[in-house]
Amino acid sequence: MSETNDKKLDTTGLFCPEPVFRTKIEIERMQVGQVLTVSADDPAAEDDITRWVTRNGHVLLDVKKDGNTITFQIKKVK
Amino acid sequence: MGSENSSDILNQIGNTPLVKLDSLSIDNATYFAKLEGHNPFGSVKDRAAYWMIKDGEEKGKLTRGKSIIIEPTSGNTGIGLAGIANVLGYKVEIVIPEKASDETKNIIRSLGAKVFETSDDLCPKVGAGTDQSIALATSIASSRPDTYYSPNQYANEANFMGHYMGTGPEIWKQTDGKITHFFTGVGTGGTITGIGTFLKEKNPNVKIIGCQPQQNHLIQGWRNFEESSKPDLFLKRESVVDDWVSVNNDEAFSVVKEVLVKDKLLISPSSAAVYACMKKYKIDGNRCVVGIFADDGRKFKSIYAAQNIMNEQEFNDGLREAKHMSKLAYSL
Repeated sequence: MSETNDKKLDTTGLFCPEPVFRTKIEIERMQVGQVLTVSADDPAAEDDITRWVTRNGHVLLDVKKDGNTITFQIKKVK
Repeated sequence: MGSENSSDILNQIGNTPLVKLDSLSIDNATYFAKLEGHNPFGSVKDRAAYWMIKDGEEKGKLTRGKSIIIEPTSGNTGIGLAGIANVLGYKVEIVIPEKASDETKNIIRSLGAKVFETSDDLCPKVGAGTDQSIALATSIASSRPDTYYSPNQYANEANFMGHYMGTGPEIWKQTDGKITHFFTGVGTGGTITGIGTFLKEKNPNVKIIGCQPQQNHLIQGWRNFEESSKPDLFLKRESVVDDWVSVNNDEAFSVVKEVLVKDKLLISPSSAAVYACMKKYKIDGNRCVVGIFADDGRKFKSIYAAQNIMNEQEFNDGLREAKHMSKLAYSL
């Protein structure tokens, strides 16, 4: 179930590490409990964003691939 | 920014004073400091910033009202670029490691630039510190080539030219061609190769001596070549360096107060590191030695307090008594 105040971030067309940098900035602006959906198409984003989310103690709810586009669902937990 | 108009400020870049260091000079040896803090935005990096922007304009890479200048930097280049671009009417975005000093970030913001702070956990495979900032600036610029221009001071020939055409000839003239030894630190390599190449063309016997900080050092803007790679700009003319001298954090910080007392100069950590190298490097016979003091000590009050070099009161007293302090184009 999606909260109405959940956020979306489109980083398609951007090269790493910009997708993970923009993810970090967006997460910092969010409230604990909110979910951020990030889309990216740089293959390096999969590793960078997954590693950053885990290292910073947030929860990666889901990762989906559709063609070149990778979609992450990240829950801010602290 | 003060009341001076833009051309006044840009005309103040370069032609910095060469000041005799009484504390090191003896009968047959004269030691000088080239006080680069006298550039309008407070450091030697104003030269590279100005030359790189002018070069970008001449090559059609920069268009006023459209282009955004983006650059990774740990300090002085960001201040110089932000200040000069502000005068010339460009937007600037500076990518800086989050551990850079708050004073530096605040100066850059006060000059109208946007600041992006990078942390070492963003993209671990590219390295730490400034390497994270370089990766982010490169990625932002490369996905929007029509808008962004990254001067890239680590490879930009205009950085070299600013010293080859400016600082080198100034030193030659200010010493009446008598210079025998030249000392400076190495960050991008623009200063040592630009000045060194010019001086060697005038007199191949001038010795060019590079100062190397310890690993994990505290000297802003310098690189230790065991822990960081040599920049492309330095590699192109690496052979101009005749010798290297190493300096550790303690040696550098320990001379800050000594220079304040003996020479009445309030110097930065990198200037102190150059002074320490000039002091410990053995030279026989008649000599005329010049060292680059890249900026003055005004931005380093908190660092000097943290390193137990001088407390706030001692710093303020030193600032009042110091000679050769310049007028900056911004407020600290």
